[in-house]
Amino acid sequence: MNPSATRRRAIGIALVALVTAGALAACSSSDAKTGDAAGGTYVIWDPYPQFDDSSAWVKLLGDCGTKAGVVVKRTAFDTTDLTSKTLLAAQQGNAPDVLIVDNPVVSTLAEAGVLTSSDEIRLDTSAIDPNLLGAGQIAGKAYGIPIGANTLALYYNKSVLAAAGVDITSVKDWASLTAALAKVKAAGKKGITFSAIGTEEGSFQFLPWFWGSGADLTKLDSPEAVSALSLWTDWLKQGYAPNSVINNTQTTSWQEFATGQFAFAENGTWQRANAAKAGFGYGIIAVPARDGGTAAAPTGGEFVTVPVQKTTARYAISQKLVACLTDTDNSLATTTTLSYIAPTAAVQAKQVAAAPDLAVWVSAVKAAKGRTGDNLGTKYPKISQPLWTAVQAALSGSANPAAALSTAQAAAAAATK
Amino acid sequence: MSQRTRAADRPSVRRPGENAGAFSPRPRPVRRARSEQWAAWAFLVPVAVYLLAFFAYPLYRNVELSLRDYTVRSFVHGGAKFTGLGNYAKILKDPAFVPALTHTIVFTLVSLAFQFTIGLALAVFFARAFPLSATLRALFLVPWLLPLIVSASTWSWVLNTDSGVANAVLQQIGIPPVTWLTSPTWSLVSVIIANIWIGIPFNLVVLHSGLQSIPGQLYEAAQIDGAGGWQQFWRITFPLLRPVSAITLLLGLVYTLKVFDIIWIMTRGGPTGSSATLATWSYQLSFGNLLPAFGPGAAVGNLLILMASAAGLVYIRVQKRQYQP
Amino acid sequence: MTPRRSLLKTLIALVLTGIMLFPVYWMVNVSFTRPRDMRKAPPNWLPIGGTLDGYRSVLHDQLPYLGTSLAVGLGTVALTVAISAPAAYALAKLAPRGGGVLSFLLLMAQMIPGIIMAMGFYAGYLELGLLNTVGGLIVADSTIAVPFAVLIFTAFMRAIPDELLQAAKTDGAGVLRIFWSVVMPVSRNAVVTVSLFAFLWAWSDFVYASTLDSGGAARPITLGIYHYIGNNNQEWNAVMATAVVASLPATVLLIIAQRYVAAGVISGAVKD
Repeated sequence: MNPSATRRRAIGIALVALVTAGALAACSSSDAKTGDAAGGTYVIWDPYPQFDDSSAWVKLLGDCGTKAGVVVKRTAFDTTDLTSKTLLAAQQGNAPDVLIVDNPVVSTLAEAGVLTSSDEIRLDTSAIDPNLLGAGQIAGKAYGIPIGANTLALYYNKSVLAAAGVDITSVKDWASLTAALAKVKAAGKKGITFSAIGTEEGSFQFLPWFWGSGADLTKLDSPEAVSALSLWTDWLKQGYAPNSVINNTQTTSWQEFATGQFAFAENGTWQRANAAKAGFGYGIIAVPARDGGTAAAPTGGEFVTVPVQKTTARYAISQKLVACLTDTDNSLATTTTLSYIAPTAAVQAKQVAAAPDLAVWVSAVKAAKGRTGDNLGTKYPKISQPLWTAVQAALSGSANPAAALSTAQAAAAAATK
Repeated sequence: MSQRTRAADRPSVRRPGENAGAFSPRPRPVRRARSEQWAAWAFLVPVAVYLLAFFAYPLYRNVELSLRDYTVRSFVHGGAKFTGLGNYAKILKDPAFVPALTHTIVFTLVSLAFQFTIGLALAVFFARAFPLSATLRALFLVPWLLPLIVSASTWSWVLNTDSGVANAVLQQIGIPPVTWLTSPTWSLVSVIIANIWIGIPFNLVVLHSGLQSIPGQLYEAAQIDGAGGWQQFWRITFPLLRPVSAITLLLGLVYTLKVFDIIWIMTRGGPTGSSATLATWSYQLSFGNLLPAFGPGAAVGNLLILMASAAGLVYIRVQKRQYQP
Repeated sequence: MTPRRSLLKTLIALVLTGIMLFPVYWMVNVSFTRPRDMRKAPPNWLPIGGTLDGYRSVLHDQLPYLGTSLAVGLGTVALTVAISAPAAYALAKLAPRGGGVLSFLLLMAQMIPGIIMAMGFYAGYLELGLLNTVGGLIVADSTIAVPFAVLIFTAFMRAIPDELLQAAKTDGAGVLRIFWSVVMPVSRNAVVTVSLFAFLWAWSDFVYASTLDSGGAARPITLGIYHYIGNNNQEWNAVMATAVVASLPATVLLIIAQRYVAAGVISGAVKD
């Protein structure tokens, strides 16, 4: 090949490549339309990658689509990816038609203008427990419907407690719980495991104790808050809780409990199925408040939401899809699959009728509280991060509880100013 | 070594890895003909376009993110206020900055030192064939086949304070358990150990191919002169491997500076920031929170890019001086 | 080397490999462990009373993804070599103006955080309809390997004696012809080394795969792991089993390739 031919060819390649590059760069700013969601296809994103196409959940999505006369295209994401993925897609004008997302994220997405409010698309939320809806309300507007709820409670191992001579009914407040842990340790077993990891999971697990002390998220360094963090810190110091809790996710913590060596584990509704497989007798009590009674635990679980679209014409179908996913019969099936508690009294009654041991969980969910509630909304993430940092600092011994929490309060105050 | 410095004009002893830096200035006394310049760029066009298409935009975007005050709302809908270097000022003033910078430097230097030394020792060890050597060397690469989420999780498994196998071993030889991942004293050490482990295969492979290209005669001659193994290493292997070592270290530096997944999975940069590096901090700001702070996150990321550029420039300077006649 | 000495070396090498692969063994161990024994203290050294549940679900759910991974890995290798070998030839032998700057940029390109790169690709692919395609993932994965490949190729190609190229030129060969018939054959060992890296990186990539291909049919095996990481619960034995299954075929490939690397490097070195 002669040099000029080489040159011509090279220029040709360069042109093709530049056009591609231009197209790639241009799309950052272009006004994108709703891509392949147009026509009779509706896109649903959920955070349940554990369910594949043959699962009941995906079949339900398909059926709801058929009922609404459209084809549903479902994609599952890891829950930690879903928020950034949604923000990106919304930025490109290509958000899914229906989005199922973790409840504390709802206020952030709403703030970002990604979600339509429930008034706008006329979602009926009247039957839903108000404390669950709270997580999706900011500035007087509601966004989305909880698909199901979960919360935290204390699982206990019956045989460990029996061996240590602890009567579970005697555990009523923090003092009696700590006394029970002491007895368990004396009997050569391990006390309690939980998750205090430096992520939202850590805050989620600490909140029942935080709220149970009477503390308030707007004042992290109150004496009540210090008492809650001191409780955890002392458990570690006394060896009632393992040092590994500092790095435990809730799954790791559950695996520790599943060894059968631990008397208590703070964990969620979703572990019920695993508990049944654990091979030892277990029971559940609500997390006790400091001076007795039940502490409010945070609500967990996802919301079904409808992201903003270019054309409002799509909302009618999206609304049908949401209504279908959350109607009474489907809600029962869905919450059972997910091991969640239903958000409406009617379905809860059905759940308890089918599985009487759920009664404890139903009352726990009723007593639970949204993290972004109390009108905190998008302030919550800015408070939660200093909070989990304080928990980590105190448990790892790099600061005492009071000092850790006053640092946290300063950080939170600066961030939410 | 005088023989080295003249190597460029003595093709007979040139080896792969010589002038290993792609940008080391070969003596180019004569600019070649114009047509050859055209041909050269014709060969370079695909890669230049590739760079432009796939790297320029993300880089531009990262810079742009760092110069504006992004909220989630303006991230989606645009219209973020231009704040100049505001995000940079903010992160430089942040109390987390100095520890993160220190950890980055310690993490990078210690990891590099160990990865390189161990990699080199293994490469020398495997340099001459013995039964099973090829297979065993291949097995050393297996850690690389694992997605980081798996290898990092395995390490946090091994180093778990209560149920980890590392502490079980220590206990057996009478050492009290170490709080590997859960104490501010040990967390950085733990992630460095894991990172060294992950980096060894890279160093082994590159250094091994560098070693293979040192002519065997040099060793034979040295043997005749009565040089022992240790002397051979310092007189022949080490100096002749210098160019390959330089590029290995430079690439290693670049790769280590940006490591975040190992640390993120093992400790989340904690407890209380004790194992946070600039890379994990950047990720934490942009993605580790319910409410992302894209601006400051991108600013931290760009600081890292600057640090790597500085290392690249130093490398070019050193290379230049080395090959100056 | 005396036979006894090389036997000793093999023995030492076995021990070293054992130490290096201990975490990998631990992963295998966990993949057989029953959920209740996962956090047993002290841990079981052998998967006593183990379970095959992890593997059962992997074989049931994951095998199709292996094919995707293989296609992505090989595609990445081809693309990487095709783009970087000519560039390296020009940088090493044709002394282009601005070549140094280009090399420096290549080095810097590797510093852009993967997640930022992934976000850029996501935005672009969304427009071009390349999300959830094997081709799209190949292009994205190649960005990990191309800068590295150019630097390594350049280093190796510089060592090709100018006389060799000059001789071809005197015979009337054009630049393209020299590259194809002289430079590439001599650089066989560099090609193998670069291919090895490109393949490994593509095979174990997670960031691009999870950003660009997380839905749909073009998922590589690394994403199969997400199947077992629910939002509240993770099945670690299945996760680890996925990793084991994912690394097996690649390990075999590695062992075969290693023989060629060693052979290639020696024969490719310039003899004097």
